[in-house]
Parts: sequence; C-alpha cells; structure tokens
Amino acid sequence: MSTDLPRPARLVLMMAAVATLLAGIVGGLLRLGWIIRAPADLAALHGPLMICGAFGTLIGLERAVAMRSRWVYAGPMLTLTGTAILFWLPQAGIGLMAGGAAVLLAACFILWQRHTHLFNLVLTIAAACWLTGLLVWCVGNEITPAVPWWLAFLTLTIAGERLELTRLLPPSAERLLYFRLIVLVLLGGLVFYGPTGWPQLFGMGLVLLAFWLMSEDVARRTLMLSGQSRYIAVCLLSGYVWLALGGAVMVFVDRNWLPGAPGYDASLHALMVGFVMSMVFGHAPIILPALTRLKLSYHDGFYLPLCLLHLSLVLRVAGDALADDLSRRLGGAGNALALLAFAATILHTLWRPHQQASLHTKGASNGA
Amino acid sequence: MPLWQADTKLKAIPFDTGATMTANTAIPTSETIEHALRSVVDPEVGINIVDLGLVYAIEQEHRQITVTMTMTTPACPLGSMLQDEALAAVESVLPADWQAMVNLVFEPEWTPLRMSEAARTQLGW
Repeated sequence: MSTDLPRPARLVLMMAAVATLLAGIVGGLLRLGWIIRAPADLAALHGPLMICGAFGTLIGLERAVAMRSRWVYAGPMLTLTGTAILFWLPQAGIGLMAGGAAVLLAACFILWQRHTHLFNLVLTIAAACWLTGLLVWCVGNEITPAVPWWLAFLTLTIAGERLELTRLLPPSAERLLYFRLIVLVLLGGLVFYGPTGWPQLFGMGLVLLAFWLMSEDVARRTLMLSGQSRYIAVCLLSGYVWLALGGAVMVFVDRNWLPGAPGYDASLHALMVGFVMSMVFGHAPIILPALTRLKLSYHDGFYLPLCLLHLSLVLRVAGDALADDLSRRLGGAGNALALLAFAATILHTLWRPHQQASLHTKGASNGA
Repeated sequence: MPLWQADTKLKAIPFDTGATMTANTAIPTSETIEHALRSVVDPEVGINIVDLGLVYAIEQEHRQITVTMTMTTPACPLGSMLQDEALAAVESVLPADWQAMVNLVFEPEWTPLRMSEAARTQLGW
C-alpha cells in the first residue's frame, strides 16, 4: 500500500513553491528599482525567498517524492510555512524553515545509510549546509553570513546528483578522488569565510567543481543526442560556465565578499541565475511530471527562455564589471523575464489538449 | 541479451509459448513485453530502462504480467513516473482480460554492470 502523498497535495506544495519564487522575483525587481509599490520586506528577503523558500522546498519535495514516505513531505511543508510567516514572525519563520531543512537532512542521511555511496553523503552534507545557514541567520540576525552556506547547499545538491549519474560512465578512481578533494576545498572555504569574510578558497572550490563537471558529467555525451536529452545537456554545460565564472569572481575580484562590493552581485547571480537556474531550466520538464504526474512534452521552444536567461545575465554581469547601473538593472529585469518566459512555456505545454492525460496508476504498487 | 538478468532473489516464471501475437488477443511473449518496456526511456540519457538494466524480472502468472524494476538510486524522484510509464507500456500490449503490475524495488541494488552492451557502448565503455 502506497505511503505517498496524494497527487493534489503534491500539486499544492509545488504551486506554493512557485508562488514563493514569484515573491522572490518581485523582491529582486524591487531591489533593482523596477518595482516601487510592494512590501519592502520582499526586497530584504529576496535571497531567503529564492534559495530557501523556493529551491529548498522543491529539493525537499523531490526527495519526498523519491522516498514516497509521508514524513519526508513535512520538510517542504515546514519550509513553506516558515517562509510565509517570515514577514510577521521572523524568528519563528526561520525556526520552521530550519525544521524543514532538518527533515531533508534526516531523509538524506537515511538514504546514505541505506546505500553508502559518496553521492548520498554529499547530498547529506548539502542539506546540513542549508540547515547551518539557517542557524547562522537565526543567531546572527543577518542574511549575508548565511548566503555562502546556502550556495553550498544548492551547489553540493547539484554536484551530488551529477556524481550519481557519472556511474553510467566507465568507472574512474581519479574522478572520485578529485571530487572528494573539491568537496573538501568547498567546505574548507565555507569555514574560512565565516570569521574572515574572505571568499577566495570557497570560490576556488566552485571553479574546480565547474571544471570537474565540464570534464566528467554525462552531459558531454548526451549533448550528441537530440531533443530533450540535448536540451538538458546544453542547460547543464552552459550552467557550469557560469559556475566557473561566479567562483572566479569570488577568487579574483573582491577581498571581502559583501553586498555592495563590486563582485558580489556578479558572482552571486552568476551562481544563482546562471548555474542554478540553468539546472532548473534543464530538469523542470522532467521533474515537474515526476512530482505532479502531469504530462509535459518537451519541445525546442524551451531554448528561448534559456537564451534570454544567459543573454540577460551577460548584460547584468557586464553592468557589474563596468559599474554601469543601467545595464545591471536591465540585465536583472531580463533575468526575471526569462523566468517568467520559462514558466509560460511550461504552462503552455501543459495546457495543450492532447498532452493533458494524466498517467494511469492501475495496478502499480511499491516494492521497496 | 537475456530478457531479464538472473538473480538470486528474483526468478522469472517461464512464459507460455504459443501463438503469434495479433491485435492484443494472443498470449504475450517475453519478447513482446521486453519490446514494450524498451519504449520507456530515461529522458536525460536517452536510453531505455531495459538497456539501462533497470528491469529485474518479468513474470507471468495466469493472466497477469508482473514487472520488477528499479532505479539507479532511491534518491531519484523519477521512480514513480518511470514505473507508471512501464505499466502503461505493458498494458498496451496485453489482451483486454489481462492485468499488468509493476513493482519498484531497490534491493538488490542497481549497478552499472547491469547495463546492456549497447548502453555501455553508447556511454563510452
């Protein structure tokens, strides 16, 4: 008998995560000056909304769907509830979000105990980074010190999942060795950043991870395929370029990585928009059906929002580099438009009548 | 390539041999089921679940086909989706009075060695 959450409930969680993402986008546009009539808190909470509220919820939801155990859904539920009450009861909101992160940590730990592979350990460490960032925020009452921990959460989650897929490739002891070393550099960089504010070691870890991904990811092979497989590979490989650039800016541009410093906006958005959002653009067409059981067919129209994402980010980062505020603001607006265009592409694909049938579940059962 | 990998925990019951399949009225053969399952493709790597070695066993008992499959990792959220696609694929080739069932298991654990020669070649082995 299935212990999974019913599909309507999963849909509600997904839609709530999307609403959080939209709120985060509004906060970003507020910061850039494109919107003036919106609660000021949205601007202040732009980072937590995007990273914790939206992505944290979605990653928690993915893990819950994978494990098909109802208790794991408490993770995204706590995260969403905490996000919602941030505006009125900030400490309580952070506490609930930390609860959501703790549930994800427990779920990943159980998966690691079940199959003690390196990729499962990395996913567990990633969840621990998320929780640590939330605790740093809660104790210090400042978001900035938590941001590198949240970047590590997203980066290591992606890295762990990509490491798992490299098992399809010919085995390589060097591949695993370099990966372990890179994770150590990243974690060391996190610890070093805390008391010093110096991001260089963490940034170097990101650059090294980017090169590892570009050389080892199965996307190098699937790029030669066609259709959706190639599209996913394009999203991944282009995202890795931004991962390298974001890390490089951390290494070479600013001694301290703080809001207002020349490289802060560029590196943060190279990582969050260029790297993380590229991953989302690539995998949403397969993850969304997995989470919601809605049928969604890929088509080459998905390349358009991806192109807009990258081009607008080039403009934004160029604006940061040249201290050109208008370019930075236009690029940021372009980032938001790309996300909205991607959402519109998804919705259009879902609403096409001949694609609307849900998948049958007659006779299907769990054996795990 | 065998239809299913021999496994100490799972054992397929031999299929009835018999008539050539026509219009979903004849008894399905193992080749028919396998061929149907090859239509279920991992969307990222573009390889079907049979060649990926995710299909552990195909069993027949009376008028029911039971497929046992796995994923490369229990952490992957695509398990239920591929399970549903496998079910639909098997049902599409069964006579109307037959039933299909697809079980998703994670023991024994999947290993890359379960992939077919064709899949490994495509992935550079």
